[in-house]
Amino acid sequence: MNCQPPHLDAPFGLFPVSILKPLKGAENGIKENIRSFFDLDYPHFELLFSIAENSDPAKHLVRELIQQYPHVKAKLIVGQIEAGPNPKVNNLIKSYEAASHDLILISDSNIRVEANYLKRLVAHLDNGVGVITAIVAGRNAETFGGKLESTYLNTFYARWMVLAARFGNPCVVGKSMLFSRKTAERFGGIKTLARYLAEDYMTGVAMLRLGLRVIIMSDPVPQFIGSYPMRDFWSRHLRWGRIRKSQAELAFAIEPLFGCFVSGIAGSWATSQLFDCSWAPVLFLHLVFWCINDLILQMRIGKELSLSAPLMWLTRETLSFPMWLHIALGKTVMWRGRKLVLQPGGLLDPKWGQADA
Amino acid sequence: MKQLVLGDFHIHSTFSDGKLTIPEIVDLYGSLGFGAIAITDHLCESHSMIGKAARYIGHTLTPASFPLYIEILKSEADRAMKQYQMVVIPGVEISKNSISNHRSAHILALGITQWISADKDALEIVREIKSLGGLSVAAHPVWTRKREKQSYHLWDRREELKSEIDAWEVASGPYFFDEVLHSGLPMIASSDLHHRNQITSWKSVLHCKRTQADVFMAIRNQELSFQFYQEVNNDYPRSTNAPHLVRSPNSDTLRNSPHNQGDELPTPAP
Repeated sequence: MNCQPPHLDAPFGLFPVSILKPLKGAENGIKENIRSFFDLDYPHFELLFSIAENSDPAKHLVRELIQQYPHVKAKLIVGQIEAGPNPKVNNLIKSYEAASHDLILISDSNIRVEANYLKRLVAHLDNGVGVITAIVAGRNAETFGGKLESTYLNTFYARWMVLAARFGNPCVVGKSMLFSRKTAERFGGIKTLARYLAEDYMTGVAMLRLGLRVIIMSDPVPQFIGSYPMRDFWSRHLRWGRIRKSQAELAFAIEPLFGCFVSGIAGSWATSQLFDCSWAPVLFLHLVFWCINDLILQMRIGKELSLSAPLMWLTRETLSFPMWLHIALGKTVMWRGRKLVLQPGGLLDPKWGQADA
Repeated sequence: MKQLVLGDFHIHSTFSDGKLTIPEIVDLYGSLGFGAIAITDHLCESHSMIGKAARYIGHTLTPASFPLYIEILKSEADRAMKQYQMVVIPGVEISKNSISNHRSAHILALGITQWISADKDALEIVREIKSLGGLSVAAHPVWTRKREKQSYHLWDRREELKSEIDAWEVASGPYFFDEVLHSGLPMIASSDLHHRNQITSWKSVLHCKRTQADVFMAIRNQELSFQFYQEVNNDYPRSTNAPHLVRSPNSDTLRNSPHNQGDELPTPAP
């Protein structure tokens, strides 16, 4: 990651952006999250909110905000097109087709941004760039589950995302994903992605296959966490983990070796055998060093560090192996009220894309 | 109107073990004046050990990558036609690999946009290609003269398969196969390109219009000849056993053709 976007002096008025926001339900903090997009400091953009059903509680929130900001071009689009089992893509297709501009930014509802976010994002556009994504920073966690979520995002995920990008396998996160529609049409547009669970990751794969670059923007994009139940934390990371497993089985299989405890135990045992010393101090030093590194990462990405942070870190590390086991033992995920079955490569079984009773 | 079309019908991209992306392949061949190419990435068996290994290291198409592959091929075919007047044919190389060379077979399925399982018997696969309107080619069916895994299964069954397979590779890369040349089987020559520098190789020259259907008809009717395509400043080895050969459109005989080294072919870019 660079510290500064490369083209902050670009004539942004020449790069109008259609921001697509898929919504489902009025989750915690959603109004302020959405409001932050109305407050963007950018010369030319439009907001397109997608909801699948007319009864969605997010509808009234969006209408209210559209009325409050008459100077911002914004539209609520209701209804979905069933292009495949992925409900998020189905929800987005109408907005994608209705977008006025070539540059499309897909941004999830739990993202809360600074006014200069769009400028700093677009400032990464360059020749040969296919998609610009961002590291997600967990912010404003209130509950135990939320703090765990925040720790997970700001340490484990951030670390792996940067590492994967360095090794030429960048991972695109759908929470903030900017690309050209004209370029996306070269792989069939977003409809092609409706057959995959990780439409964001596959966008990155498609761009790489076209010989284009995947860029991680210089600033992490903040996700408002708030009061996040433990159940949601587990279910989301189960889903993300099963995506990782289906996309790269070998990398998933060796994932625990790169966790703090397994590598620490293996390393301290090896050291004790090699140098005929006790393993316990080596393991202790390893844990302390790892913890300090992760806390620094947490502070830089999450912009906050509470007193409970070391405890949260320890809990997360302790949970990582049971979670890995849980991920390994299944291939179904629950998402947006649907039970979905994952096939190798992240494909979804179309027969299973129905709403769960 | 019929014209001479320089073609290469066995090319790999980054969707399997090739080093060039599909747009790079299109630009490479388009800028060199080719009239028709087929991109044929590996599609390996799902149950064999070699097939599984290929999947783990990303050297094969999978049911997950196949839809993207086809979509990109479609859009690049449109671009190739507009920009270079070049036909891009979607295809796959169905790769049945075994420890035994005699159980290994590589079948090119040209003009295919649907997934075909490599787990079936070769005869079933060839018939499925035909039923989908595609053209089947036995890829490097004999000893390839290279230190690599060989695939003799189709050649071992050539009597049984000769009425089913549309063409057999008489050359692959810089090597020409006398066994195929003298077999009386329908032939085609391609590069099996994985890297940029493998462009120097045997190619097919067809006499047809620049459409997929006409290219297929020319191959089926064997209205083609073979040309060693030498890129300037490329010292890639070339087999010495093969003269420049041409199959006369109206004859079953193969003959040397001095005018086949021809000025009617596009000149490689300097």
